[in-house]
Amino acid sequence: MNARIIEVSKTVLALQKAFLAIILVVLAMAVFNMIPATRSEFFSQVNLVDLLKSSSIFLILAMGETVTLIAGGVDLSIGGLMALTGVVVIQLINAGVPIPVAIALCLLLGLVVGAVNAFVSVYQRTEPFIITLGMGIVLTGIGLQLTDAHPVTATDQGFQSIANTEIFGPVPILVLVMLAVVAVVYWMLRNTSFGRNVYAVGGDYEVAKYSGINVLRTKAATYLICSLTATLGGVMLASQLNSASSIAGDNTPLYVVCAVVVGGTSVAGGIGGAIKSAIGLVLLGILTNAFSMLRIDTLVSYLPTALLGIIIVSILWLDSYGRKRKREAV
Amino acid sequence: MVVASAPAALLTINDVSKAFPGVKALDHVTLEVRPGRVHGIVGENGAGKSTLMKILSGVYEKDSGEITFDGNVIDKVTPVESMHMGLAIIYQELNLVNTMSVGENVFLGRFAESGGRAGVHAKARALLDSIGCKVDTHKQVSELSVSDKQMVEIAKALSFDSKLIIMDEPSSSLTNDEMQKLIKIIHELKAKGIAIIYISHKLDEIFGFCDVVTVMRDGHVIDTRDVSSITRNEMISMMVGRTIENEYPPRPECAGETILEIKGISTRKLRDVKLTLRKGEILGLVGLVGSGRTELVRALFGADRVAGKSILLDGKPVEINSPKDAINLGLAMVPEDRKLQGLLLGFAVEQNISLAVLARLTKRGFIDTKGESSISDRQIKALNIKTPSGRTKIRSLSGGNQQKAILGRWLEMSPRVLILDEPTKGIDVGAKYEIYLLMKKIVEDGGSIILISSELPEVLHMSNRVNTICDGRINGEFDPAVASADEIMAKAFEFA
Amino acid sequence: MSASTQRLGGRVNSQTAINLLKSNPIFVAIAALAVVTSFVEPQFLTGENLNNIIRQFGTLIFAALGMTLVIMAGFLDLSIGGIIGLVAVVTVTLIDTVGQGPAILIGLSVGLGCGLLNSALIISSGALTQAESLFITYGMSLVYGAAALMYVQGVTQFLTYSKTSIALFDTINSGGIGFLSVSAMIFLVCLAILYVIERRTYAGRAIVLTGGNKVAARLAGIPISRSIVIIYSVSGVMAAIGAVVLVSRVTLADPTMGTPYMTQAILAVVVGGTALIGGRGSVMWTVVGTLLLILLNNCLNLLEVSTYVQYMLRGAILIMAIWLDRVKQTSVSK
Repeated sequence: MNARIIEVSKTVLALQKAFLAIILVVLAMAVFNMIPATRSEFFSQVNLVDLLKSSSIFLILAMGETVTLIAGGVDLSIGGLMALTGVVVIQLINAGVPIPVAIALCLLLGLVVGAVNAFVSVYQRTEPFIITLGMGIVLTGIGLQLTDAHPVTATDQGFQSIANTEIFGPVPILVLVMLAVVAVVYWMLRNTSFGRNVYAVGGDYEVAKYSGINVLRTKAATYLICSLTATLGGVMLASQLNSASSIAGDNTPLYVVCAVVVGGTSVAGGIGGAIKSAIGLVLLGILTNAFSMLRIDTLVSYLPTALLGIIIVSILWLDSYGRKRKREAV
Repeated sequence: MVVASAPAALLTINDVSKAFPGVKALDHVTLEVRPGRVHGIVGENGAGKSTLMKILSGVYEKDSGEITFDGNVIDKVTPVESMHMGLAIIYQELNLVNTMSVGENVFLGRFAESGGRAGVHAKARALLDSIGCKVDTHKQVSELSVSDKQMVEIAKALSFDSKLIIMDEPSSSLTNDEMQKLIKIIHELKAKGIAIIYISHKLDEIFGFCDVVTVMRDGHVIDTRDVSSITRNEMISMMVGRTIENEYPPRPECAGETILEIKGISTRKLRDVKLTLRKGEILGLVGLVGSGRTELVRALFGADRVAGKSILLDGKPVEINSPKDAINLGLAMVPEDRKLQGLLLGFAVEQNISLAVLARLTKRGFIDTKGESSISDRQIKALNIKTPSGRTKIRSLSGGNQQKAILGRWLEMSPRVLILDEPTKGIDVGAKYEIYLLMKKIVEDGGSIILISSELPEVLHMSNRVNTICDGRINGEFDPAVASADEIMAKAFEFA
Repeated sequence: MSASTQRLGGRVNSQTAINLLKSNPIFVAIAALAVVTSFVEPQFLTGENLNNIIRQFGTLIFAALGMTLVIMAGFLDLSIGGIIGLVAVVTVTLIDTVGQGPAILIGLSVGLGCGLLNSALIISSGALTQAESLFITYGMSLVYGAAALMYVQGVTQFLTYSKTSIALFDTINSGGIGFLSVSAMIFLVCLAILYVIERRTYAGRAIVLTGGNKVAARLAGIPISRSIVIIYSVSGVMAAIGAVVLVSRVTLADPTMGTPYMTQAILAVVVGGTALIGGRGSVMWTVVGTLLLILLNNCLNLLEVSTYVQYMLRGAILIMAIWLDRVKQTSVSK
């Protein structure tokens, strides 16, 4: 059992990179708070709840993306799908379709998109990143056509209560939905045959195949899951804002993939997890929030965007470099 | 034949054949394996052992013949089906997912059936305990030693209630202690009535713990004998037996001075290897797969990054940090894996040939395409490469012609040292002879050759001198004109 | 064996052209569309419309030409969107301080610098797969875009507000000799240079060989890292040229103006028939691919199909092109 303890502490240490970064950011903010010139509202309840709310949509999307990445695939259509779903759900509701039916139809849309992604990239063995990038363009185009590039707003006020109703104090349903998705994906990846097969397929495709795992079906299923979470994210985003825009998801896929990689999931597959991804997203969320709280953009406008870009590239660089080191060690 | 009182056969292989394009990998092979016995299979590389195992596990399909296992006729099985039937194979390249835990690897693809997380680890623990392996089941496989990985594979085999476990050269990367552990486990498995097929190069192991041994050569079963009724020398003779003199051109003469001297190359795999090569000489390098022979020439050629390396060319120290450096110094290498490392399949024959002299064909950045065509036409003619034209894609050529094109690539730069790593692998007899003639011509023109080959007769007939390499060390030097195949083989197998 | 007598899979001769048409249904589909459009909408064949086609072509083609070499070597460059925005704002803002000629030169150097930075990141991290190069350059696109935004504080820069002469930009946009516009001449020069590099030079050969089989090429002494530096530098410079041409045409510079070109350039290359997996293709085919794309846009515009549906179709064509190429390759290797 001693080895087990070492193993667990090792996992914690591995997590710690992103964890440690979060702690550092929080500490830094605390220090800044002591200086009058840089005092901010970072630690106010309003900001913390805001932080949670603004991270929730990305977290929901990241859960599906995590599953796809672990299986050795990637889905860059989640941004387009999220935006389109928001548009569709609001237009359906405005057309008089009952809210539950509208949401169900959107989930169906997600399944169809996932199935197409899976068919072309898994069963036809094409490179998933360009295929799903193309799918993202298709979906964004459909959204633009449906809305004539204007944002749409729900007329039924009941819709926005889905995400925004506050249950535990100031914590809205949206956050609970997010927590539920994280919990389900966490459980699925850890405790179901399917979840373990996802790791096997991404870890070593050939070995998984020879072990009798239906590799194609497993991989295909991850695209369906990814599309479903993107759809759910789209519905929640539309409900949260009570409006939707067909271009809302433009930078979403890259942001989500990078956050997931920050958390310790590799773009090469086989490694990762729901909690890791969540930590990665929280880190990027806190950073963005801290930048805005400190009003860095008043020093140089758009500096936060640049910093975020540099952080993202550094993370991707380190991910590749780690693999290079491993290759050369053999 | 096997002793009469032996139990009924568990596995019967009857008259099985399998051909690949240009090669007859298995030729009417017949074999029986009985429960509770360790059945050794020996043979040179390419004797057909691996093909046979892959047919058993369902990776390949046999062309003809019949296989019966445990009373069932096996016709077409998938690897999974064969495992569920109780036939497990432990490959040399281990079949484990490195990024997953030990326990999960044992029950890969059977997570829920095995009782989920808790069940998997508990059952894996029990299986590992039963073979005396103490590895923590939560540990990630990538962190295990090769020996422990093998134990995990054995546990995996046991988890299927295997009746037959095939071990494909399990000892190739084990230390002595680890080997002792494996032998102990083999004895335990045997006591449980499990049959074991033990594929090995190492005769010590065959004589150490095998009950029966089958010798294979060139896709044939030469003989199956009780280990107690065969001697080492008999076995070696059976393995290397064949020599057909006129398959080879007469051996070229050599009396040049030293051109290349490796003062020492050390890596994880190689231990301070020293080597000399004379002008006009063909130096044969004999060693088993995994002995370090390919690593040695790759390090020499700058293909792998190596820290400790000291090389003299014409007595002067040279730095070789990349293949480009090597080529600039007049070294050339025909790599082991033609498809992955040698050919550019989607490109024309002409472009495959010009590759190594491309820099020379370039004037102020421009490639002299006319010169390129004439070079390729010259090589196509000189090497008798059968292709419709130099512009044909090399993909559509036969293996022998592809290999000749790769040789042509290097001949064009008139290499001072040509490294040939398995130059005749998977090539038909006619093309082989042409390649031998070419080698002869190269040394007659003043080049030198380092020849790696798993075909001992080839090395014996073509080389002026033979070095054996074993376990990352050069451990013997022979004059092939006087040394016998058995002597050299014995050295490469490290016993004398 | 007509297919096998093809050199490098891309020399434009009648036989290979026929083969390519046969194996590239997207070509045929767009050509059919053009024929239909010219019947339905007689406006299609007017000189004004053709002029229009060539103008649109001018912006995309430069980015696509650079992208062709990148894809031929088996990599991707998604940073060109950011590079175009950055080069555009740098060039326009510098006109008043350094003059128009030097401003353009500095703009091109910025493009080159971005390309060099991309290749440095890719070589140093050992990102040898297409997916890795995609992610890193996508990230760099954000960085370049943000740098452009920071540089001009997010404010669109108008060329016409310049206090000094912008005659050079006017010439690039509308000048010309006879029927050849200046931007067309720039294009022809770039195409000629790239074609010669691709077909005749060592560097070009090294690029396709890298895309064909990195391991075998390296073992035969072909410098892989140098190919990576060249492809990304060329891609950066070509994007920068595209930016200057774009600025001349629309007379303004906006940090985000390059975004659409990222996917369109890949699309043009892939529709032209250059394989995404590397080792096959030609800048010539990219010219055809780009023309087809512009033609498609133009036809759809004349047929009054909404721009959003056109946007959608771009994604669909990208998926189809890659999928069909895959199907074709599978049938070839069988």
